[in-house]
Amino acid sequence: MDHRKRVIELSINDEPYVLAVEPQQTLLEVLRDSLSLTGTKEGCGTGECGSCTVLLDGKPVLSCLMLAVECVNLDITTIEGVGSIERMAPIQEALLEKGGVQCGFCTPGMVLATTAMLNRNPKPSEGEIKRSLEGHLCRCTGYNKVIEAVEATIEKISDTHE
Amino acid sequence: MHLPRFEYFQPSTVEDAIHLLEIQKSGARLAAGGTDLYPRMKYGLTRPESIISLRDIPVTPPTLSQDGILNLDAFMPIKEVVNSRVILDNAPLLSEAAGRVASEEIRYMATLGGNLCQESRCLYYNQGHNFQFIEPCFKRGGDLCYFVPKGKKCLAVYMSDTAPALMCLNAKVNILGSGGEKQIPIEDIYSGDAKHPLELGPTEILSQINIAKLTGSAGWAYKKFSLRGGVEFAGVGVATVLQMGDGKKVCEQAGITVGAIAASPLRASNAESLLKGKEITDSLLKEAAKAAAEEIKVVPHHGYSTPYLQEILRVQTHRALGTAYERVGVVSQK
Ligand SMILES: Cc1cc2nc3c(=O)[nH]c(=O)nc-3n(C[C@H](O)[C@H](O)[C@H](O)COP(=O)(O)OP(=O)(O)OC[C@H]3O[C@@H](n4cnc5c(N)ncnc54)[C@H](O)[C@@H]3O)c2cc1C
Ligand code: SF4
Ligand code: FES
Ligand code: FES
Repeated sequence: MDHRKRVIELSINDEPYVLAVEPQQTLLEVLRDSLSLTGTKEGCGTGECGSCTVLLDGKPVLSCLMLAVECVNLDITTIEGVGSIERMAPIQEALLEKGGVQCGFCTPGMVLATTAMLNRNPKPSEGEIKRSLEGHLCRCTGYNKVIEAVEATIEKISDTHE
Repeated sequence: MHLPRFEYFQPSTVEDAIHLLEIQKSGARLAAGGTDLYPRMKYGLTRPESIISLRDIPVTPPTLSQDGILNLDAFMPIKEVVNSRVILDNAPLLSEAAGRVASEEIRYMATLGGNLCQESRCLYYNQGHNFQFIEPCFKRGGDLCYFVPKGKKCLAVYMSDTAPALMCLNAKVNILGSGGEKQIPIEDIYSGDAKHPLELGPTEILSQINIAKLTGSAGWAYKKFSLRGGVEFAGVGVATVLQMGDGKKVCEQAGITVGAIAASPLRASNAESLLKGKEITDSLLKEAAKAAAEEIKVVPHHGYSTPYLQEILRVQTHRALGTAYERVGVVSQK
């Protein structure tokens, strides 16, 4: 074993990708630079901002600190797998409605973290929402509108279920 | 930001990991969650030739032994420590402290062992050194300190949230190495030297954490002080346990430990003995908090001054003791 490239298979948004990576390449680099899945953003690269968040088997993780070689055999979900312009996920619609998006740089991370949280617990308290999103820096919205959007999503989901 | 190149190994047993450490010598680093190590590598603070990843090694779920000892696998993710029912029931102080580590994403990635083995930190050290603070300080192998320009030694602070909680619970850790396995009190993994805060040898792995369960007549609390209260390292973190007698009035044994204050977590022994054998009143808790703030030698850090941290330490210790007392008899948090 050395730092020559190795061939790995990744499952991203239910699609298989076979590619050659070096061990020091992070999942973030592979997504953006090798696969052009540029919805995942790099804010800091050191774990502080949350903008690079993706889901691994449904769990939110920071792709800037995950080695790509360690993501084999896991289901990777990126923002490209959550919704599209024609069919937005409820949280995406709510962020638009409530003004929870301005420059949008933090939004993919916020959307994925919210998705993971709501899959685990469809009715989180305000405290739980804040705990789940505390690792996400937003320089534009002041956070309140993001929280409002998450709360609106929770209501929307529970309405459709009742 | 990119990681520097390294050779990569993914052993599937601890024994294989130790064997790799022996072959690779000092050029190798273990990576568990990588949330402490990889940012340091991106900043160029450490440049290991090889990475020995612990991710492929199966994690044993927590168990409670017949004699009431909780055994935790060091490779357990922090998030699982927070959620584990058996930890919540038997060592809720650890659940509370683990829940205050970093952010939700990092809690999913990071491990308990990695949290204990994290490097000490300093405002000048934890950053890139390309355009400022270029000349290496003591911690980077140089001969100066940016924080205390006339200082003779490094004053970086060890900031683990779980460490003070585990020390307060008198945890023991298992260390596996080429020489076999040993079990030592958690205190003994610290060197007291901020430059190399951990006493672990180059081929040693922290493999297990063992905690005696708290009984129903104990109260506990972890109070983490930070300015914003979100993702932030502690200004100080105070862990307390009040072990009460049968009537739940007299304190049989008290534990008060403080993190993010020095090169290792510290125990406030004078404050502990003040409480021992006494009936708990608020004025006694105040007195103990004052004693803790007086006996702990505070290292200023991250913009907090010594007098400020001393006062915060007093206030947080008082609050932690108060919460611990309120919780006496409440076995589990939930
Ligand atoms: C934005 C941010 C915020 C953070 N906030 C906090 C916080 O609030 N509180 C806190 O405590 N920490 C915090 N951290 C630091 C870090 O995320 C945690 O300490 C985490 O628990 C480290 O665990 P890990 O498994 O990721 O460690 P790693 O990075 O994998 O390892 C850390 C060090 O320990 C060594 N190591 C790992 N496992 C073992 C083992 N079993 N035996 C021997 N050596 C081992 C590694 O070689 C490495 O040197 C933060 C980090 C970031 C990036
Ligand atoms: S306290 Fe330590 S890490 Fe910080 S500048 Fe001084 S020598 Fe460097
Ligand atoms: S880019 Fe990963 S946390 Fe900022
Ligand atoms: S919308 Fe601009 S950073 Fe959040």
